[in-house]
Amino acid sequence: MSKYKRFALGKLAAIGPQWLPFADVASAEVPLSRLLRLSLFQMTVGMALVLMVGTLNRVIIVELKVPATLVAVMLALPLLFAPFRALIGFKSDTFRSVLGLRRLPYIFKGTMYQFGGFAIMPFALLVLSGYGEAVNAPRWIGLGAAALAFLLVGAGVHIVQTVGLALATDLVPEEDQPKVVGLMYVMLLVGMILSAFAYGALLETYSPGRLIQVIQGSAVVTIVLNGLAMWKQEARNRARAQAPQPVVRFADAWARLAARRGMMRLLAVIALGTAGFGMADVLLEPYGGQVLQMSVSQTTRLTVILALGSLVGFGLASRWLGRGGQPMLVAAVGAAVGVPAFLLVLASAVMGSVALLIGATLMAGFGAGLFGHGTLTATMRSAPRDQIGLSLGAWGAVQTTAAGVAIAIAGVIRDAMLLAPGAAANGAGPYVPVFALEAALLALALVVAWPLWHGRLDSRQDDASLNKRPTAGGPETLVTPKA
Amino acid sequence: MSNDPDKVWPTGLTLREAEEVHSYLIDGTRVFGVIALIAHVLVAVSTPWLG
Repeated sequence: MSKYKRFALGKLAAIGPQWLPFADVASAEVPLSRLLRLSLFQMTVGMALVLMVGTLNRVIIVELKVPATLVAVMLALPLLFAPFRALIGFKSDTFRSVLGLRRLPYIFKGTMYQFGGFAIMPFALLVLSGYGEAVNAPRWIGLGAAALAFLLVGAGVHIVQTVGLALATDLVPEEDQPKVVGLMYVMLLVGMILSAFAYGALLETYSPGRLIQVIQGSAVVTIVLNGLAMWKQEARNRARAQAPQPVVRFADAWARLAARRGMMRLLAVIALGTAGFGMADVLLEPYGGQVLQMSVSQTTRLTVILALGSLVGFGLASRWLGRGGQPMLVAAVGAAVGVPAFLLVLASAVMGSVALLIGATLMAGFGAGLFGHGTLTATMRSAPRDQIGLSLGAWGAVQTTAAGVAIAIAGVIRDAMLLAPGAAANGAGPYVPVFALEAALLALALVVAWPLWHGRLDSRQDDASLNKRPTAGGPETLVTPKA
Repeated sequence: MSNDPDKVWPTGLTLREAEEVHSYLIDGTRVFGVIALIAHVLVAVSTPWLG
């Protein structure tokens, strides 16, 4: 008996750590291939966003014949979770694990929620639409199940993105952060574009069986890609594991973060700018169609052009910041490009020029790329090492909420103007206040950002040299900040 | 069973570390169990397979 036991234990011990999902040592140098692999989690986030906001939005309304307002409410549910991103980030900062991990457990849980939401979503939608025998089922079953599915996916996306970005910030030294931010944004866009094409092709001939296959397939892809992304990324930190449980309350941590010079101002800039750029996302296509009589394929191309502009913006921002540019300056230039872009969008209606609208769209995308990259890099740079999760959670909460609110407001203003008497005569009329508001919001963001341009933002270097606060996460051995 | 919390067992984990790994397994099983249950109920509502 004991011989077998010794044999088994010997075999077990010989398997060695290469099969364990966490890295045993923190390497100072993180190769690009590893960062690319890490950024895969952004692809699943992009996939979930496209599936919920784009594809399902259409399928539920057109094929399943569920009322559009009900669908809009369902899709808005995940937005309710957005403010909790700050809390999630804080929790992952202070998470006490015997294994010395703090990001991995959260990403695991977030991935599980996302998977679970996708797993029940097709059936929930079929029951909601009264498929088969579900016509006789009580209404609340379909409603509750669909709401639960969307909430689970939304919560999963919020958790994975917040904690994933925090992990990426943990891993790389400060001078490489612009590269990582660019990579993350690009992968998000790539994930959205690839999955939009894939869903379009897969759901061309709709059937309930196909819907189940596609959504549950997304669930499996989510698990696989997130698993690949997280494998061996986070190092075990024995010092953190053995440190006593920190007693930091969320309110205290938040107060400490908010007290940092420029932090609240930065968040305000992010809210204003994201809202400014975000309104265009949903309105450019109907604007092109209704005002400039563009065809469906042409307006779809508008969205592609917007994405292309963003890609160019991310690329340029990465190079610029990599050469030592100020992140807030990059963001300000992005907002400054956005203001004339939206005025040109309005001018294109007056002149009836499609070419001008395309040019303006490219400009808006470019500005959005610069602005998004600059503000996220600024957030990463200004976050204290032990509050990275909280800072990025605050970034995500502000950014997601602002984008969602902006889309809702844009839709409401346009519909209200459409309903107003006499508005129908002038095609561009309903859109004028929305695009003007966008330009105004961006101009306001520029004004608020003014004092931040010249580095009036607490950076991590200041922390290291000026005030050595005791870190809540125990002694840091992962990556020592460059002093 | 040793009471030494720092003893590393042949798996490379101490007792408390192993318990934490196990807790993730249990959590995952519970969540997936609940998800599977809900999915089955929903399928049964739309296409009943029992009677």
